[in-house]
Amino acid sequence: MSSADTLQEKIQKEIVELACSISDVVSSFKKLQRPLVETREQVPQATNQLDKITEQTEEITTRMLEVVEQITQREEEVIRGLRTIRQKATSDSSNVVDQLARELTTKAEDNLNDAYRIMEYLQFQDITAQQMDHAASLLENVEGKLHSILETIGAPRTAALRSAPPSVRKTRAYDPHADLVDKKTDQSDIDSLFAEKKE
Amino acid sequence: MADLKILAVDDSPTMRRIIINTLKRAGFNDVIEATDGKDALAKMKVEKPNFVITDWNMPEMDGLTFISTLRSQAEYKDLPVLMVTTRSVKEDIVDAMKAGVNNYIVKPFTPETLKAKIDQMLAG
Repeated sequence: MSSADTLQEKIQKEIVELACSISDVVSSFKKLQRPLVETREQVPQATNQLDKITEQTEEITTRMLEVVEQITQREEEVIRGLRTIRQKATSDSSNVVDQLARELTTKAEDNLNDAYRIMEYLQFQDITAQQMDHAASLLENVEGKLHSILETIGAPRTAALRSAPPSVRKTRAYDPHADLVDKKTDQSDIDSLFAEKKE
Repeated sequence: MADLKILAVDDSPTMRRIIINTLKRAGFNDVIEATDGKDALAKMKVEKPNFVITDWNMPEMDGLTFISTLRSQAEYKDLPVLMVTTRSVKEDIVDAMKAGVNNYIVKPFTPETLKAKIDQMLAG
């Protein structure tokens, strides 16, 4: 056997091994395609669910605000009415009526303060909406990357791959650190910053 | 207080409603609203408010760009601007100061804080 024959055999063997490797890689890509396509299709569903939570929470918060506004209006009317009763109370009954009206006024004012406190707590909706937008934005990022991977490996053009990239579907404006409880800077420190600026 | 016209700028309808209710309870009854910086700039020309409360994160035009645009116009150089936002990172607050914000409240806020800040700003 000549040295040329040996070299040819070696090259043939290498080519066969290379072909087998390529075949394995292609097979692995094919196996990967399906779960990747499925994930690519599921991510927008998760994003839509988050957007739906935000929309529905906002709608209910608006309804709650309407009810709280009606309560505050009625309580203000009650307080005005009690004031008039105290002014018009006859001398015979003035002590009893005045005392009763005072007590009822205090209760009505407490109700009014509590109603405004509820209104204050409803700010949660804006903060959780920003947290949802942040989560949705992270999911859109995952979706965009999956989209690019599938295009690169030549996945079949499914409905998901033909749909618009996530970046063009919705403009999101949010603070990634929005938090109901954890404020990165205390209000007193903020006030000091502005006081220093003024000086 | 009677001649004070406040412009409340926030993309969240819930927040606009809460701010307006809080302001009315504090005695500030003349309040107009805008949904973002772009809308606010348009309302400024027509409504001529003399006090602005603005959010930071908004679509179309954010609060910082809105304030920078305001401050670039001579007629709004001294207009009191209060920022009410979730942003509480110190660097953000410094950026807001540089853009021309006169005072700053982090959400969620109490009605007492909002009233105190406005009173403080009006007192100069």
